[in-house]
Amino acid sequence: MSGLSAARLRTLFALFAVLTIILSVRVAYWQTVARGELLARATGQVRSDEVLRAQRGTIRDRSGAILAATVQLRSVYAIPARIKDKAAAARSLGVLLGRDSAPILERLRSDAEWVFIQRRIPEAAAEAIARLGIDGLGSILEPKRLYPNDDLAAHVLGFVNDDGAGQGGVEGRYDALLRGEDGTLVVERDPADRGIALGLRQAVAPRDGAALTLTIDLAVQTAAERALREAIDRERAASGSIVVLDPRDGAVRAMASLPTFHPAAVATATPESLRSRAIAWEYEPGSTLKAITMAAGLDTGAVTPSSWYDDKGYADIGGRRLLNALGRAWGPTNMTQVLERSANAGAVYVGSRLGAQRLYDAIGTFGLGRPTGIDLAGEVGGTVRPLAEWYPVDVGTAAFGQGLTVTPLQLACAYAAIANGGTLYRPYVVASWRDADGEHRTAPATTGRVVSRETAATLRDMLVSAVDNGLAQGARIAGFSVAGKTGTAQIPSPDGRYVDDEYISSFAGFAPAIDPSFVVVIVLERPASKLLGTTTAMAAFTRVAQDTFRYARIQPDRRP
Amino acid sequence: MTALAFAASRRPVRVSATRSSRRARRAPAAAWEIRSFAAASAAIVSAFVLALAYLAGSTGVSSGGYEAQRLQGQRDELRRQNALLELEVAKLAAPARIETEARRLGLVRLSFIPVVDAVPLAARR
Repeated sequence: MSGLSAARLRTLFALFAVLTIILSVRVAYWQTVARGELLARATGQVRSDEVLRAQRGTIRDRSGAILAATVQLRSVYAIPARIKDKAAAARSLGVLLGRDSAPILERLRSDAEWVFIQRRIPEAAAEAIARLGIDGLGSILEPKRLYPNDDLAAHVLGFVNDDGAGQGGVEGRYDALLRGEDGTLVVERDPADRGIALGLRQAVAPRDGAALTLTIDLAVQTAAERALREAIDRERAASGSIVVLDPRDGAVRAMASLPTFHPAAVATATPESLRSRAIAWEYEPGSTLKAITMAAGLDTGAVTPSSWYDDKGYADIGGRRLLNALGRAWGPTNMTQVLERSANAGAVYVGSRLGAQRLYDAIGTFGLGRPTGIDLAGEVGGTVRPLAEWYPVDVGTAAFGQGLTVTPLQLACAYAAIANGGTLYRPYVVASWRDADGEHRTAPATTGRVVSRETAATLRDMLVSAVDNGLAQGARIAGFSVAGKTGTAQIPSPDGRYVDDEYISSFAGFAPAIDPSFVVVIVLERPASKLLGTTTAMAAFTRVAQDTFRYARIQPDRRP
Repeated sequence: MTALAFAASRRPVRVSATRSSRRARRAPAAAWEIRSFAAASAAIVSAFVLALAYLAGSTGVSSGGYEAQRLQGQRDELRRQNALLELEVAKLAAPARIETEARRLGLVRLSFIPVVDAVPLAARR
């Protein structure tokens, strides 16, 4: 019996020994040869690879007010299978989201495992939904670009599309700076989706986008948009644009175009409303260009303020007769009176004295026919035909702003050069940006001197006279000297002629004329009052100017 | 002699030792056993204590990690709320909204702001 037991014991021992060896070999195999595979399988079950989204940079106005910011908003989702009373849930959601409950109920009754009810909802609604405590409803955070001033400065700001890419305006031009760089996080998570502190953790921190500070002034922008809107409403104009520029460095204080859009609801915008007319509307400037013709005439010595000609109501040039507005004959007229009366024949006189080459050069020197280089997406350069393509009559028509096109911004820059003593600045809207490396400031850049300081001063006085004594009297402001010029231009038709009885009315001016703080250009397309559209444009100018004087505490330079 | 008898005859003869000699032989063996037992127990206890300490440390780090994550989430939520409040402030401070409110309250714009010339005033003083 004991011999049998010993044999059994030996067998059992041998069996255990063999099993131990097999297990040991197996364990050794998993720990050495197949360690990597095992590790990968185990890690795969708990490891999560996440993209850490960079926060898009904030855009502020020059005083620090937020113009655009990205925030995380809640998107409400449902797991339909877990919602017991779907009809009641849909009704509650409909009330809280301000929507019809039928489409919500349709979603809740779908076979989908997981559906969005509504994305990026207001915080108050999200909190109210959470308070309902309905099992099967939840929310996740999603980024949303918000614009607290609604459609204010929409064309300057641009917008962000569904893919998070900036388009148009500053959002488009500075997209690379604003969007930053995403980071990554590789971490092991427990079944409750919490990171395991002792587990794997590899993180590359995201680099948030730069915060931009614009030259735009929220108060001036608001005043400019209000004035433009009122002018367009009064004139039932097709469209319009306004630019307010600081002539001392080219900083854009306000820029607006109508029709406009809401940057946070681009899907509902019409294509035409997306066009920033201030930088992408090429129109014939008409008489506002006479200031540039006169600047060239004065600077080259072709004319002086006291030079005169006999105005017959027309001028013959290149075999064509070019008429004054309404064909009015002014008789003996000096150069100051040319601007006061906006005499086309006078502009033709100056153009003829200058000659095609010098007039063409002056137009180019003032930056017309090429983009200003403003730091916004979508700028166009206007059209100035090469001199080789000019007919003799073009010297006359170009002298009073027909046959060539400009943008409102180009004209504002040209007037800014006259206002500041002859220096043409490249306009800019981003004053500075702040990123991880610190603050970067934009230095004003000049593109050169366009006329001498003396010429600029003389022309300023002539433009003040145009407001004080001429057709631009509608732009007078009590207590302040104002320099400016009206413009009424015909609209080219597709057949190469001009559209009958439809005009583009504009006004370009600056104040206080002695030490200008701002230049304003306002342009209205097809005003209802036709040739009198400039009156409305001047009224808009004075409104913006008065608001700016008040806001910037600019002292009067005249006795009222 | 049968085989059985032979086997019995070859059985070793038991030698009966005296009590004192047995005690003398057992004493070092017992001491060794006690020492071994004590050493093994100490090793096991030490290992157990070490394991406990390690587990306590790991648990501490893990709960610390969870707490850190909770605080991180709280911080992110507060930051989010702060960003929303900043936007709300920007909305309320918008000049257009303030103007609308002012109109609603019946306020009107000044048509002209009289500005006092500072130079004569300064000269008078």
